[in-house]
Amino acid sequence: MHRSRVKRTLLTTLALVLAFAWAFPVYWMLNSAFLPNVVLQSATPTFLPFGGSFDNLVSVATDGSFGQALTISLIVTLTTVVAAIMIAFLGALAISRFRFRGRASFVLALLLIQMLPAEGLFIAQYKMMSSLGLLNQAIGLAVLYTAAVVPFTIWMLRGFVAGVPADLEEAAMVDGLSRTKAFLKITFPLLAPGLVASAVYAFLQAWNEFTVALVVMTEEQSRTLPLWLRGFVQASASRETDWGQVMAASTLVAVPVIIFFLIVQGRMSSGLVGGAVKG
Amino acid sequence: MIRRLPIVALTSAALVLTACANGGDSSDTPAATNSTSNAGKTITLWLAGGDTPDELRTYLSDTFKAKTGATLKIEEQAWPDLVTKLTTSLPDAENTPDVVELGNTQSPTFTNVGAFLDISDQYDALGGDKLLQSFVEAGSVDGKKYALPYYFGSRYMFMRKDVWKEAGVNPPTTLDEFNAAVTKVAQENPRHIKNFSGFFIGGQDWRNGISWIFANGGDLAKKENGQWVSTLSDPNSLKGLQQLQTIQKTASNAPADAKDQTPWLYVNDNDVVTDADGKPTGKTSLSAATIMAPGWAHWSIGDAAKKDGKVVREWNDKKFGTFVLPGNDGKPAPVFAGGSNIAISAKTQNPELSKELMKIIFSPEYQQKLGGAGLGPANSDYVSSLGDDEFAKALIDSASNSKLTPAAPGWAAVEASMVLEEFFGKIEGSNDLAALAKAYDAKITPMLNGK
Amino acid sequence: MTTGTTTAPTTAMAGTPQRANRPRRNRLPLILIIPSLVLLISALGYPIGWQIVTSFKQYGLMQQFGAPAPFVGLDNYKALVTDPYLWTVVVRSIVFCIVTALVTVAIGGAMAVLMNAVSTWARVVLQVALLVAWAMPVVAAMTVWIWIVDWRRGLLNWALVRLGVDGAEGHNWLAEPLSFFVVASVIIVWMSVPFVALSIYAGLTQVSTEVLEAAALDGANGLQRLRHIILPLIAPVLSIVMLLQLIWDLRVFTQIKLLQDAGGVTNETNLLGTYVYQLGTGKGDFGTASAVSILILGLTIALSAYYVRSLMKEDV
Repeated sequence: MHRSRVKRTLLTTLALVLAFAWAFPVYWMLNSAFLPNVVLQSATPTFLPFGGSFDNLVSVATDGSFGQALTISLIVTLTTVVAAIMIAFLGALAISRFRFRGRASFVLALLLIQMLPAEGLFIAQYKMMSSLGLLNQAIGLAVLYTAAVVPFTIWMLRGFVAGVPADLEEAAMVDGLSRTKAFLKITFPLLAPGLVASAVYAFLQAWNEFTVALVVMTEEQSRTLPLWLRGFVQASASRETDWGQVMAASTLVAVPVIIFFLIVQGRMSSGLVGGAVKG
Repeated sequence: MIRRLPIVALTSAALVLTACANGGDSSDTPAATNSTSNAGKTITLWLAGGDTPDELRTYLSDTFKAKTGATLKIEEQAWPDLVTKLTTSLPDAENTPDVVELGNTQSPTFTNVGAFLDISDQYDALGGDKLLQSFVEAGSVDGKKYALPYYFGSRYMFMRKDVWKEAGVNPPTTLDEFNAAVTKVAQENPRHIKNFSGFFIGGQDWRNGISWIFANGGDLAKKENGQWVSTLSDPNSLKGLQQLQTIQKTASNAPADAKDQTPWLYVNDNDVVTDADGKPTGKTSLSAATIMAPGWAHWSIGDAAKKDGKVVREWNDKKFGTFVLPGNDGKPAPVFAGGSNIAISAKTQNPELSKELMKIIFSPEYQQKLGGAGLGPANSDYVSSLGDDEFAKALIDSASNSKLTPAAPGWAAVEASMVLEEFFGKIEGSNDLAALAKAYDAKITPMLNGK
Repeated sequence: MTTGTTTAPTTAMAGTPQRANRPRRNRLPLILIIPSLVLLISALGYPIGWQIVTSFKQYGLMQQFGAPAPFVGLDNYKALVTDPYLWTVVVRSIVFCIVTALVTVAIGGAMAVLMNAVSTWARVVLQVALLVAWAMPVVAAMTVWIWIVDWRRGLLNWALVRLGVDGAEGHNWLAEPLSFFVVASVIIVWMSVPFVALSIYAGLTQVSTEVLEAAALDGANGLQRLRHIILPLIAPVLSIVMLLQLIWDLRVFTQIKLLQDAGGVTNETNLLGTYVYQLGTGKGDFGTASAVSILILGLTIALSAYYVRSLMKEDV
């Protein structure tokens, strides 16, 4: 594909402009995290945090409750990711490699579950968790999150699994490998990017969820990060909302995700190549 | 179980000896203050938002422990999420918080659905009729008391003294004077600021706007023959609404959709950078000569200054002033009282301990501490503990005549449906206030009596 | 999508998966979906069941605290269906979701094509920017966006005024419903494009370059290649992405709620998500809120019926 230089430069510029536009709010969040509240409320925006300080970030991070909320969030989220991937993977294998009675119903059910709004469910979810004694337990929340994430993850993984032709295993078996070994040596590595992509999706869902966590994690020490963040966005009788702190707290919540993201980014783009969305 | 008995006996003996050594509190019921039996127990108190300062929370925990031997766990809930959490947790006997703080406007709704324990028997001991009666009503049904006042706040006016002076207007002494004064200040606009407001009141800001309804003798709703009816279109209410409309048109340049958040932004100069002469070099964000805000807003009003390396707001007496919205009858205008109630969950597993906590909260010491922290104590005997600086005076004055939203069972639903915001947002542009008010009465009345 | 070929393996080891054309011995797939079934039924069964049942009851705050909840049959649904406000919200939501989804997919698709056309480093920069935007927590993102459109201190007005648009000073972007929804749409497009762009890009990279080169040699220009070769090949990708966007945008809640808190008239800007919340948590009318949720489910199915059916058929 031969493009003229001018065209290439234009396209590159366009790409950079778009990149800037999309990353701008993230930059703004970082910028605001370094500025004191009074400056943030001024009518004139401050673009670069010169003269700013780490005060907000430090005060928010050393709050004591941050470490706790971070731990809880990590436990809940990682449990969710691991469980969801395992369960969804098996399910995806089933529906993409096999034909069986009830398959269409299963796939349809998965789709329907995703279409039901989740906002009305929290009352019932609370009652359920309470009667099982799972309130304020990371495992309880993880179960709810896993169930919420699995339907879409099965869909995503189904495409990836289908994208790896069964013939490859065939060929390996003709060469003398057992079925299981063939699967592990040939098919599975090809699925790795897809698994990673699904894992990232599941991670995000669990990491940022708010309403169910609010209702099920009722005690302060079992708060997840979104609940912890919420505590900063509140005025009270003794102080107004300190937006610098809010942004610093938001940065702390966002940064682990972004780091995790960037680490797996390489594998992920090739993962999305397999395509959840290949249909 | 049998194997545990000796251990239990030993522990009890040890605790009894400790209790004896400390000397007991003799004036309370033996069961609730029996340190031995309470040693392992914990009750939970939910406080809403950050209003109760840490010092008071520590006092509560320490005093509770000393008095009863049990532990007090305090959990803070964010205001926006409080109703959600109360809805799910209160009915759940195993996990319910024992004592909860909730907004005074939320109290009627939760009281009416039976969320709270009947504490009529404690009422007199806790302060009886000395407690703020409008709040007591919000937490009563058929004369029985469930939710009592925790603290009250109030709203008053914050003004830019310097701007008023430059406009040549004196602080008003009656409501009519106020209405005229803010219009004049807006018209004079001595600093030639774009979109300047003599008095900044957001279009959808009903919490401040209803002061005009109240001040003219009107109300949001009343109880007629056992049923609640919305009274926005009553003659007195309409009079107030008309005054409000005039203010919105001539004195306020606030957006029609503004609510009552962060009004102090408009009164501050907000400039951090000053040149050698002390003149601000950035663009000023001053855009109002007067705002109406809850008392605690004063912490956010003033000049930006550095204190301990942090930038804070310092009140400047030459620039800023406070006054109470005056009525036309020589008394302060009735404004919307802010504040919270406190109640014991109906499903609590520890009613006796919870009642002990209530006693501590309503004790003279704690009431005075509330006053010291700028929160109006429920018991009128201790209101003087608020102090006598200008903020305390303004708080006490404006609260003396304050009103609550109607104690109707469906009031929380009315607030949740945002219908008042909608109504108030339409006032400025309306040509027929009476018809508008009637239309909204028709919407609100069915909601008031709850389902 | 591949399923089994007709050649069966000659060795059958214990626990090895069977070929799909041997249904009579096919218990393995059922075993594979058991974990999913167990999880979904135990974690979602009760809440979904409760919601369906409650939609047929009168269930308000009183019932939450122990009052009996009488069955009222279809009363909740009847009250909803005859309430003109619900239909206003429904129409608004449908329009909003279609417009937003279309814009998202269009921009995402265009970005994907762009990523395919630029040099590696530019593409990586763009991809990283998209990923970083996608990873930002919704609350933090909304705080920044609300700041940007704030009528007094917002970046948007400040920039517009700098560019000479004086009327922009103090302009309130959230006051008028139409403007409110444009802002909401921009925000949601911003949040959704990364996933769409990256997915479509993935699909694009699988389009064989040889076919495209052959077409170019035959004289087809860029646009023609796009229309006649690329689009048909990535059609499955596009349609599923579109479907997902429709589902998600119809139910959007957090972004709208936070915008409503910041400005605008709530009842003029309600979409289905916030309406359910208002009924449920706000008014405590959980019976009606459940009925609305079921209605939303029905609506989503209706909107996507065509696609779902073709998906099920293709899924042979």
